Amino acid sequence: MSVLGANFRRDLEIRRYPLLLYALLPLAALVLQAWLPRVIGRYDWFDLPLVVTVYFALGRRSPIQGTLMGAAMGLFEDALSHHAIGIDGIAKTAVGFLAASVGVRIDVENHTIRLMLTFLLSLLSSAIFVFTYRILLGLELEWQWFTELFRAIGNSLIAMVLFPLLDRLQIRE
Amino acid sequence: MESFFVRYRNLLVLLTVLMAQILGLAVQVRHTAAGHSSLDPGDSSGVRLIRLWAEDLVAPPERGIHGSKLGIDYLWTNYADLRHVRRQNQELQQTIDRLRLEQAALLEDARQGQRLQALLGFQQKYIYSTVAAQAIGSGGSDQSRVFYLDKGSNYGLKPDMAVITADGIVGKVRDVFPSTAQVLLIDDQTSGAGVILETTRIRGILTGNVSGQLEIVGILADERIKPGEVVLTAGGDLIFPRGLPVGVVEKVVRDPDRDAFIDVMVKPAAHLDQLDEVLVVTNTEPRFSPQEQQDISSSETEKGAEAQAIKDQAIRDQLKASQIMAEHLPGLIDPNLPPDQQPLLDNSNPIIVAHPPQALHPDRFTPGANSEPVPASNDSSKPDAPAKPQTPKAQTPTPQKAKPERNP
Repeated sequence: MSVLGANFRRDLEIRRYPLLLYALLPLAALVLQAWLPRVIGRYDWFDLPLVVTVYFALGRRSPIQGTLMGAAMGLFEDALSHHAIGIDGIAKTAVGFLAASVGVRIDVENHTIRLMLTFLLSLLSSAIFVFTYRILLGLELEWQWFTELFRAIGNSLIAMVLFPLLDRLQIRE
Repeated sequence: MESFFVRYRNLLVLLTVLMAQILGLAVQVRHTAAGHSSLDPGDSSGVRLIRLWAEDLVAPPERGIHGSKLGIDYLWTNYADLRHVRRQNQELQQTIDRLRLEQAALLEDARQGQRLQALLGFQQKYIYSTVAAQAIGSGGSDQSRVFYLDKGSNYGLKPDMAVITADGIVGKVRDVFPSTAQVLLIDDQTSGAGVILETTRIRGILTGNVSGQLEIVGILADERIKPGEVVLTAGGDLIFPRGLPVGVVEKVVRDPDRDAFIDVMVKPAAHLDQLDEVLVVTNTEPRFSPQEQQDISSSETEKGAEAQAIKDQAIRDQLKASQIMAEHLPGLIDPNLPPDQQPLLDNSNPIIVAHPPQALHPDRFTPGANSEPVPASNDSSKPDAPAKPQTPKAQTPTPQKAKPERNP
């Protein structure tokens, strides 16, 4: 009964967006993520592709879609850097899957919950990135916990502004 | 069986995607002989293809955004913010005049250096041609020390070309696409450049450390290396031409791995965080570029005479200074006196020259022992008479004829 209840609730709350938004928003996130650090220097404490991944995963509530979207965003980020391709991909794949899985089970209409989830998933993404880089691959990486904390806070602030704006673009039946 | 895949399809998709990426990572990382892991410096064809796709997707809108920013900047700087331009123009003109003077004055030295280098069989490479490019994007994270240029192989860019600014070196071209190029900054761990310290002439290899700081590694401990010393490119890495500014020494720390070695931390001369326009050195030749030759000839024609006049004036000033100094010092030659009355020839010099005391028991080592015997009369016996310069003569026994011994 509980499973049926969850599926019933999931069917009711799936969000749909214009097709163009699925294409343009990730692209805009990738472009701005590559361009803005040139403008603001070292204070690039944000990860726009991660924020977009979390938003769509929470809204769509499909772990498969969240997984694939996170993987695509992460791989594109890796391709733009000189890292090995897959480091960011693994982190965002896990984040997309978890965000969608959580979105099935809890009420994500609440802004506070979504901001907290964005904050926690940002920290998780950083942790997986560092784990993959240093432990799995054995590469040297300078890592400071407060930088990752600032990045998580920055992502939450961006989400606080961006999520309500994107909510207005969803298709309501 | 079907229900298993349906029931766990989410997890299966996740595991499949993760495994695919882990396998992809495994082929990109290799273990070095020292036991460390490192990324494969050369991308395989598959990895390069993914990078090309990503760059083709991101570069056009990035170029558009950057162009819009440049347009706004252009409007602001050329129309809205034109205060003090006239005064700045005058100052710049004065700077150009001064630089032309200096260039004309240094030209002969440079040519002499070139002739000597030719004699020694050493050819110094000069920057012959460059391509100006705009930095339009970055790697997207603070761990990625790369950025993208708005020009690529269509403009003649190739991997391993040097990227510089007027302030100093920036990095080298890592990967080239048709319309863009990826530049690896010099503060990356995988970067490297041959450098030399300007005053101590100590050579080393410049690279970035884990925290993104520049350091010169492989230098034996040397107390002469002090903070503030200028670091230049050495020209031996076949990427950066010789003599380009790199930065200044910030501090010297002991190499944690090797006791006798030190790491010299360097503050970069170029603003690596805020790069906008850079120059890519597309060609180096052992001769000046046409633009430089044109500048030199114009300096010679326009300012050569003034430079010569300045040089003559400097020589005159130097002579004048030496004359002033000579007037304040006791001289041996007075130009106002005839030659026979020069103070050097004056015998009435009242200064008594001290003589060494006479030896009580002179021998063959005594000064003047082999000279002729001196007459008994000596002017020094007169206490009131002024002493005259004389050579001290030792009293030597008068040679006597040997007498035949008489046997008793």
